[in-house]
Amino acid sequence: MFFHIVLERNIQLHPRHFGRSLRDNIVSKLMKDVEGTCSGRHGFVVAITGIEEIGKGLIRDGTGFVTFPVKYQCVVFRPFKGEILEAVVSMVNKMGFFAEAGPVQIFVSNHLIPDDMEFQSGDMPNYTTSDGSVKIQKDSEVRLKIIGTRVDATEIFCIGTIKDDFLGVINDPSAT
Amino acid sequence: MSVEPFNRLVKLAARAFYDDITTKGDNQPKNGRSDNRGIAVVVLDALTRRQWVREEDLAKDLKLHSKQLRRTLRFFEEEKLVTRDHRRETAKGAKIFSAAVAATVDGHTKEGDEKIKMHTHSYCCLDYAQIYDVVRYRLHRMKKKLKDELEDKNTVQEYICPSPTCNRRYTALDALRLYSMVDEYFHCEMCNTELVADSDKFVAQEGGDGDDNARRRRREKIKDMLQKMEVQLKPLMDQLARVKDLAVPEFGTLLAWELRASAAARAANGDANGNDPSKSSQNGYGGPPMPFFGETKVEVAFSGTEGQEDKKSEVDHTSLKVLPPWMIKQGMNLTKEQRGGEVKQEAKMDGGVSTTETSEDKKSITENDDKKNLQDEYVKAYYAALLEKQKELEAATKQEELSNAQMLDGEASTSSSRQVGMKSKRVEDEGEEDVEWEEAAPVAAGNANEPYKVDLNVEADATADNEEDDDDDVDWEEG
Repeated sequence: MFFHIVLERNIQLHPRHFGRSLRDNIVSKLMKDVEGTCSGRHGFVVAITGIEEIGKGLIRDGTGFVTFPVKYQCVVFRPFKGEILEAVVSMVNKMGFFAEAGPVQIFVSNHLIPDDMEFQSGDMPNYTTSDGSVKIQKDSEVRLKIIGTRVDATEIFCIGTIKDDFLGVINDPSAT
Repeated sequence: MSVEPFNRLVKLAARAFYDDITTKGDNQPKNGRSDNRGIAVVVLDALTRRQWVREEDLAKDLKLHSKQLRRTLRFFEEEKLVTRDHRRETAKGAKIFSAAVAATVDGHTKEGDEKIKMHTHSYCCLDYAQIYDVVRYRLHRMKKKLKDELEDKNTVQEYICPSPTCNRRYTALDALRLYSMVDEYFHCEMCNTELVADSDKFVAQEGGDGDDNARRRRREKIKDMLQKMEVQLKPLMDQLARVKDLAVPEFGTLLAWELRASAAARAANGDANGNDPSKSSQNGYGGPPMPFFGETKVEVAFSGTEGQEDKKSEVDHTSLKVLPPWMIKQGMNLTKEQRGGEVKQEAKMDGGVSTTETSEDKKSITENDDKKNLQDEYVKAYYAALLEKQKELEAATKQEELSNAQMLDGEASTSSSRQVGMKSKRVEDEGEEDVEWEEAAPVAAGNANEPYKVDLNVEADATADNEEDDDDDVDWEEG
C-alpha cells in the first residue's frame, strides 16, 4: 500500500556546498540518500514530494560538516499481509517462483500455485496448466495475494499465493 | 470452588493425550516388563486425588519406583501440567508438610523419619489453571494444523534440510537467502545441501511429490483425521466448555499451601470438617477434603422480591442521594431528598397500594401536624385551580381525540397534556393530572407521560412532583 507521509532526517553537508545553492544541495543530497531505501517501519521510500522544513544547521566539531534536520514529504510503499498486488515474475524454479512488485520481492511457493499447474523444466522453466492455456514464466504478470511478510530493519520480503479467486496470470508475454 | 470438573478434565486429557506415553528412553528394549505405558495416566489420576504431595509419598502410594515416578513427573512438568517444588529440608521441615497433609488427607502421615540430615524433597501438584490453558492450546494447535493442511491455503511452506547432521528448518520467508544461483534450488545455509519441501507432514510420501493422486489421497486422510478428532475428543471439549466459567481451584505455592493448610487444621480442630479419613474415602475420587477452603457461602440479595415494607425502610435509610432529574422515572420509589426537592416530606408515587398505606401511617403521625396549615391552603388553591382547569382541558382533550381518532387513548392524552404542559405554573399541571384521573386510566396516563419525560427534564420533574402531591392529597383525605 502506498502512503504519503512526512519523515525527518538529518543531512550532513560538506562545507563546499555552502553558498547560494545551499538549499538545493540539501534537497539533492536528501533525495540521493533517501529515495529507494527501505525501512522496516515505513517501507520503501519511493519518492520525495516536498520539503516541509529545513532546520538550523549544526556545525560538527573538527570536521566542519554541518548537520541539517530536514522534514520532508514522501511517498512510501509498504506491503501488508492480505494485500493484493500485481507483480512481474522474475524467476521460476521447481520450488515456486519469485516475482517483483516494484521494489518488493515476493516468493510464491509451489504449493500456493493452483494444483492444476505443473512445473515444466527446460530452457524457459514455467508452470503450465494441463491444457497449456495458462503459463507462468519469467516476465509474466501475475496478480497475487500476500500471505506473509518478513520485515527486517532494511529489507522487506513477502510470500504470496495465487491459489485464490481472481488471482493468477493477468498478461502472458508469450501470447502477444 | 469445586475441583471435581477440573479433575474430570485432567482425567480426560490424560487418557486422550498421555495414554501411550512411555517415559523410557527409546534405546531400551520394550519387553513386557519394562513397558510402562499408561503410567502417565495413573500418576495424573493419583494427583487429582491430592493437592501438594511429596513425591516419595506418591511413589509409595502408587507402588512405583521413585525414579520412575520422577521421570514421569518431569515429563508432566515440561508439559506444564504439574508444578513442582524442590527444597532442602530437615526431617522437621518435612514434618510441617506432613502436618499439612494430615490436615487434608489423614492417614498419609509418615512417622519415623527423624533424621537430622538435610534432604532434598520434591513436591508436586496439579496446576489446574495451566492445565486448562494447555489442553485448550493443544486442541487449537491440532485443529489448526489439520485445517491448514487441508485447505492448503495461507500456509507458509516449510523447507527442511535432509542431511541428518543438520536438520535445519526454513520457511518460505527465507526463500531469498536460500536461493542459489548455481542450480536454482534452495540450499541449506549451513551445509549447502539441497532443501526439500516439508509438505508431507502427516502422510508418508507415496508416489511423486506433485502427484495429483497422492495429493488427493493425502487430503482424504487429513479430512478423515479431522473428523475422527472431532468425534474422539468430543468429551474433552465438552468438559472444557463446562469448566470454562468455573473458578479454577488454586493451591498456590507449596509454602502458601502449607501455611493455609496448617492454619485451617488448627482452626478446624475438633469440629467435624470432614477431616476423618473414613469420610474422605467415602468421597470416592472426589479427593481429600479441603479444610482451608471452608464452607462456600453465597448470599444473594434480590432487591425487589422482598416485601414492600423492607423496601421502604431500605429506601428510607440508605438512598438519600439526590438523583439527577434524567434518572427519575415514573414507578421509582423515591424520596423528596432524592429528587432534590426542598420539601422534606417523604412521598411515594408508586402505584402499589401497600406502600402508600405504610407510608401514610408514618406520615400522619409525624409530618401532617407540622404542615397542616400549609397543606390546608394548598388544598384550597388546588381545588380551585382544578375546577378552573377541568373545563378548559376537557374541551382540549375532546378536540385532540377528534383530530387523531386512530391514536391510542394514552397517546392522545399525552399530546393533550403536552399542549397544556407548557404552562409553568404548578397548579395548572396538577389540574391536568386530574383530567387524566377522570379518564380513569391513571396508569395509562403515567405510561403515556413517560416518553416526553425523558426528553424534557424540567417538565419531568414537574409532573413527578405534582404526582407526589396528588398522592399526598389522597393521604390527607384518608387520614
